[in-house]
Amino acid sequence: MSAEESPAERVAIGISFGNSYSSIAFTSSEGKAEVIANEDGDRQIPSILSYVEGEELHAGQAKSQLVRNAKNTVAYFRDFLGKDFKSIDPTPCHQAAHPIQHESTVAFKIQDSAEETENTVTVSQITTRHLKRLRISASDYLGKNVNAAVITVPTNFNDEQKDALKQSAKEAGLEVLQFISEPIAAVLAYDARPEAKLTDKLVIVADLGGTRSDIALVASRGGIYTLLATHHDFDVNGFQLDQALMDHFAKEFIKKHKSGGDPRENDRSLAKLKLECEAVKKALSIGTSASFSVESLSNGVDFVATINRSRYEILASKIFSAFARLLVQTVEKVNLDVLDISEIILAGGNSNSPKVSSAVANLFPQSTVILAPSTSATAINPSELPVRGAAIQASLIQEFELEDIEQSTHPAVTVTPHTKDPVGILLISGDENSGVFNVIVDGETPLPAGGDVLLKLVEANRHIKITKTEPKAREPSSDSDSEESDEEEEEVREKEYKVSSVLSEAALRGLKKGAKIEVQINIGHDLTVNAIFREVGAKTGVRGVLQGPKVTQNGSA
Amino acid sequence: PVLPEGWAGEKDFKPIGHLSPSTDRNIEPVGPHFLAHARRKRHKRTFSEDDRI
Repeated sequence: MSAEESPAERVAIGISFGNSYSSIAFTSSEGKAEVIANEDGDRQIPSILSYVEGEELHAGQAKSQLVRNAKNTVAYFRDFLGKDFKSIDPTPCHQAAHPIQHESTVAFKIQDSAEETENTVTVSQITTRHLKRLRISASDYLGKNVNAAVITVPTNFNDEQKDALKQSAKEAGLEVLQFISEPIAAVLAYDARPEAKLTDKLVIVADLGGTRSDIALVASRGGIYTLLATHHDFDVNGFQLDQALMDHFAKEFIKKHKSGGDPRENDRSLAKLKLECEAVKKALSIGTSASFSVESLSNGVDFVATINRSRYEILASKIFSAFARLLVQTVEKVNLDVLDISEIILAGGNSNSPKVSSAVANLFPQSTVILAPSTSATAINPSELPVRGAAIQASLIQEFELEDIEQSTHPAVTVTPHTKDPVGILLISGDENSGVFNVIVDGETPLPAGGDVLLKLVEANRHIKITKTEPKAREPSSDSDSEESDEEEEEVREKEYKVSSVLSEAALRGLKKGAKIEVQINIGHDLTVNAIFREVGAKTGVRGVLQGPKVTQNGSA
Repeated sequence: PVLPEGWAGEKDFKPIGHLSPSTDRNIEPVGPHFLAHARRKRHKRTFSEDDRI
């Protein structure tokens, strides 16, 4: 399997490999990404392996072994790959096989064969076995031998982690065509839909996962993505949502059954409680109430209860708002304002919860589009976003030589200058301050770039200036004191542009009334601006060239 | 909008300023538009040359 497949024989899929869940997807001949269910019918495939008398159980079947066979069940291992033991956080594994130090890497001591001996299995080997099962599921579904994949990784995955994952994939019979980052895959999943329109926008991808939350701020300019900021949080996560439910039901149980004891104090009871609470959480994303029922939860006492969604939202409200605050913090990290954000993509299984999107919506202006199942009818299932993006990317590069992919992804990428501020034209009727600014090429646009606008002219004879501006968030204080004293003051904030420097002026003479003007500007690599102003239908126009500044670029190689 | 009286420029175009320096950033090697960008860059083509092919 080590020989590289020639592109002609390649069957590539997209894989999203998470700590809690993994998924697999392929792109159909019509160019639509489809998520593949494994043989249990799961599209969200738990990243868990378990061994019972030498038999390997995977995914959902392995997950139920967390109750009876926790010691031989390996879970939440993705973030351990390519790391040394000291740098990992083993907390998620408390209820499964514990990670141990093994040479320079992390391993697990499990009984993975029929014999009664414990073997040391490294995290790389576990990953290989997991990926192999995923590969087999995809191959069975497609009826073809899958041998290549595009795998999504978090933005903070370093090269060692990628190399370790690549090696594990290779041993599982998968050639990794490319690693793409999870948030970018999510943006691609949305942009690749036929109805999607490519616009210049700032997008936040907020992934609320099981063991971690990842926020990424992405500038999308004409379908090219630039990562502006990322934030990773390991304290605000889906497990906390489970925990809120676990505490709630545990307390109810203690109240009702004095003899039962606290189910959180016994490992097996705790495992049962956790599994059921995750199921309850999922049910509450879809329905407004859910029932909790565990046979012999603790001390042989069964427990049945129900909970409605609003109760759950109160229990977990702190976590939801903590998550929403992470988004704002990420925006502020790069000195942007919530007003600059045009779209928020909610990803990760926990984003299925309607409260996540409403908590986020509270902190962002109404103009911000929130893409989540509860706020948008066309939203894609948040759990499937990265894997869909990976499947689309896999289909795009499937036919390329590996060498081509490597060359394209390296030097071509890094050396791309981006504009600092938006460039556009100012429509003025007297002095500059009363002008209306129209963006043509937005800030943070990779160069070379071009853009044109069509303007409808109302009066003949007009004056156009290309100006360069900076967006400013204005915060005028509210005019009246708020009636209720401790209510937070509603402040009115809006985005406005301030002209920072005029680049050039141009004049068009003798225009007809109501004429339309077309303005086209192209900005080259060296910051040379080419501008053309033309009345629609006219043969001639004004054109001009602005040379780039002579100073060297920031941080050029 | 009106043209102020006495406004003049060579061929009606008057360059005044420069763009402020750009920042080098990584673009993500993902998606069809990136692949087109990479193709242009590797063959040192411009947009219009690329369109012709």
